[in-house]
Amino acid sequence: MRYRRIGLIVYATILVCCFCGLVIAFFSYQEPTRELGAIYLSRAPSETGAANIVSAIYLNYRLYDTLFEILIFSVAVLGVRFYLSDYREKEIVEKIPESQIVRTSADLFFPPIFLIGIYLTLSGHLSPGGGFSGGVVAGTALLLCAVALGANTVGKRFHEPTLRWLEWGVLLVVLSLPLLPIVVGRLPFTALLPPGTMGKVISGGSIPIDNLLIGIRVFIGTWVIIHYFMRHRGEV
Amino acid sequence: MLMIAGVIVAVILFGIGLLGMIFRRDLIIKLLSLGLVNGSVMLCLVSLGSRANGIAPIIRGPENANYVNPLPQALVLSAIVINFAILALALVFVMLLVEHYHSTDSQRIEHEIKREREL
Amino acid sequence: MTIIVLLPLLHFVFAVLCLSWQRGTRGIIVAALLIDAILLGALFAVLDQAGSISITLGGWGRNVGIELVAERTSLVFGFLTLFLEGSILLYLWREHLQPYFFMLLHLLLGAVFAVLFAQDLFNIYVIMELLTLVSFLLVGYGKRPYQIWASLKYLFLASLGMGIYLLGVAVVYYHAGTLNLGLIATQLTEQQDTTWVLLASSLLVTGIAVKAGIFVFSLWLPAAHASASPAVSALLSGLVIKMGVVVLLKLAAIFPLSGSLLVLGSLTGILGIIYAITTYELKYMLAFHTLSQIGYLLIGIGTGSKVALSGTLCYAFAHGLFKGLLFLAAGSAIQATGKKDIRELITERSNIPLVTRAALLIGTLGIIGLPPFAGFCGKALLNAGTQSYVTQIVLALLSFGTVVSFAKLIPLFRFEGGGYLPRTKSLSFLILALPIGLFFPLTHLFVPAWQWQASLNTSIFIKNLVVIGMGILLARPIVNHFPHLEKRFFRLEEAAVVILSGFFLVFLLLLFA
Repeated sequence: MRYRRIGLIVYATILVCCFCGLVIAFFSYQEPTRELGAIYLSRAPSETGAANIVSAIYLNYRLYDTLFEILIFSVAVLGVRFYLSDYREKEIVEKIPESQIVRTSADLFFPPIFLIGIYLTLSGHLSPGGGFSGGVVAGTALLLCAVALGANTVGKRFHEPTLRWLEWGVLLVVLSLPLLPIVVGRLPFTALLPPGTMGKVISGGSIPIDNLLIGIRVFIGTWVIIHYFMRHRGEV
Repeated sequence: MLMIAGVIVAVILFGIGLLGMIFRRDLIIKLLSLGLVNGSVMLCLVSLGSRANGIAPIIRGPENANYVNPLPQALVLSAIVINFAILALALVFVMLLVEHYHSTDSQRIEHEIKREREL
Repeated sequence: MTIIVLLPLLHFVFAVLCLSWQRGTRGIIVAALLIDAILLGALFAVLDQAGSISITLGGWGRNVGIELVAERTSLVFGFLTLFLEGSILLYLWREHLQPYFFMLLHLLLGAVFAVLFAQDLFNIYVIMELLTLVSFLLVGYGKRPYQIWASLKYLFLASLGMGIYLLGVAVVYYHAGTLNLGLIATQLTEQQDTTWVLLASSLLVTGIAVKAGIFVFSLWLPAAHASASPAVSALLSGLVIKMGVVVLLKLAAIFPLSGSLLVLGSLTGILGIIYAITTYELKYMLAFHTLSQIGYLLIGIGTGSKVALSGTLCYAFAHGLFKGLLFLAAGSAIQATGKKDIRELITERSNIPLVTRAALLIGTLGIIGLPPFAGFCGKALLNAGTQSYVTQIVLALLSFGTVVSFAKLIPLFRFEGGGYLPRTKSLSFLILALPIGLFFPLTHLFVPAWQWQASLNTSIFIKNLVVIGMGILLARPIVNHFPHLEKRFFRLEEAAVVILSGFFLVFLLLLFA
């Protein structure tokens, strides 16, 4: 039995080292013949009007991938909610210690962090940011509150049905927005709003709207995940 | 130069993550190793787009500044969210398993399940 | 043109609606079925004239945007999805399921449609990750410990595989400068120094093979498909595994994969049969057979001739139908008696409803390849598509092994007595059983007539009947005296090590073949 285990260890280590060596050796580090990515850098400012080229790529040229990504995020939130919902709600054995420092700093820091989250979401087309990061930052602001006050207290302040409707309504809008051009008579996924001048707040076509919708979705999703994990903390 | 260093570090981290997934018996550490594997692939993708003295692809001023390749960064944004979703769901399942078997040891859980199947 | 985009997106919209409007879930899935049928019919009409249509989303151009292509492959698998969707809907009509389940179902179907049209490497990555997550959640739906462990193993190994795939995408992007499959093909013909293709294709193939059901890589499959509830097993075995094969088909059109796919196919076929012969638990046996039947498909892709490709599509369609039927019937039989082992099912066969036993019979006839039924058409095309004797011998060996293994079920097929089965379940079996029986006219829709004339001759009939006859005669001695193989490879750590060894196998195969 022990020989089998040692044999497995030796074999697996050799395999992994060979794998790494193979990938590093066969990569062929020649310089690519063309400028990769130059196409996006030259076309994006005029066609999309966004200053943040990465946003222009994943919300304009490759919007289809982003739709799947949002769906994966929603499936994760759903899965967490479904599987933990009939997990025994633990009587909180070790309460997170009530501490004046945590309480005060939560009072102090919650508004700025939340505002930073909103700022990141709305300025996704002008500087690094976007719906995903902004939503997560806003969600962590709520996490700070939950650590200070307790997850259930914070959860009671939200009206659950409204939250559900908002969550799924936003997802529905995000999924049907690319199909809207069909109504106007054009192919789906074409841009409907004009690009505008680059650098202004209202520019970038439909990128700010997408960012806002994704930000709301990710914010509510992050809060749901945090809430459920905090409520059903398990113990070994 | 930076690109080559990035790829080598990424592949080494990939290997470390693989070894962690294979040899550590604790389920939580397997989860973390899976995260490390996915993270190393993302590092590889991003470092492929780097250029010497490159700056972030946010257009602020003159036209021909030395921008880094923006496409791998957009791909990695999606990969980060996917990685997050996988880890969250795997953690939920680990929690369910631990509540049932009171142990995070994968060998012990496999043994118990095999025993329950034979009964 | 917009049909290609509408099919997946409408399913996703229905998925969200399922969750918000909880009382109308069954109405929504019926509506989805009707809309699917209409859209697929329209697609068939369009493809009949045009051959293949492609659209770049947003009109940005192939090198910046995402391209979607619809052709014969997408149509065939689209119809398979339609049949399985209708059958699962009927099977689950009376059960009490939460709207969450139907949402996952719609997401699964939408993702399946999306893979069929994908032409972009990273798009394939994201869709396969969605498929992984949704099937992982569906397998664990029952919340029993063995289901949760099986799905956790699935998640670990599938994520590992997709990580390797993404590494391959990174290599391809760096050297070819694009992620679009068509443009990569042009780059490969233009570039002189193509040594990176070896590493890239082995990484990509290893990554997809974890999800496609190839034996060395998909060691999570028996546990996951056997632990899931019957409808989920039918969907996973019949449909989701084929998506990995579809991606391999797309990759094989660009990279030089034929020799390695032939060897991998034979390997998975034979190993699957060896493990299936010694397994007596019904669902595990069916799962091992899934692993082995994928071998047929890989041999077809590896051979590469037009007849062999038609054979692959034909056999994939047939396999989806009869594997789905077998899993549904097996689930119903296990529910009726409460036993999982074949020997115990045989002793208690008077409790199993007649319709279930008839469904198992039709599924078995399909999978062993009896002449008018579904499996025979695919096997005939595959046999005719290859010139080498070795491939034909391997195919015959796989058929022989399948018959030997399924001969265990023969004592079940005595038609007397039987319990009660709700009418909706009988209807669901009928939806899958009719195409299996009447398969031949169905194939004229997507296989040109000259290929049929080239492959159907008396020698293939006789060969098939001889193999089936010998299999049934020699079944009992072989099954009783077969050596038992190691089951420890199916644990988590060993499975990961085997995946790595498989990567080296693929690398060496690509180097020398």
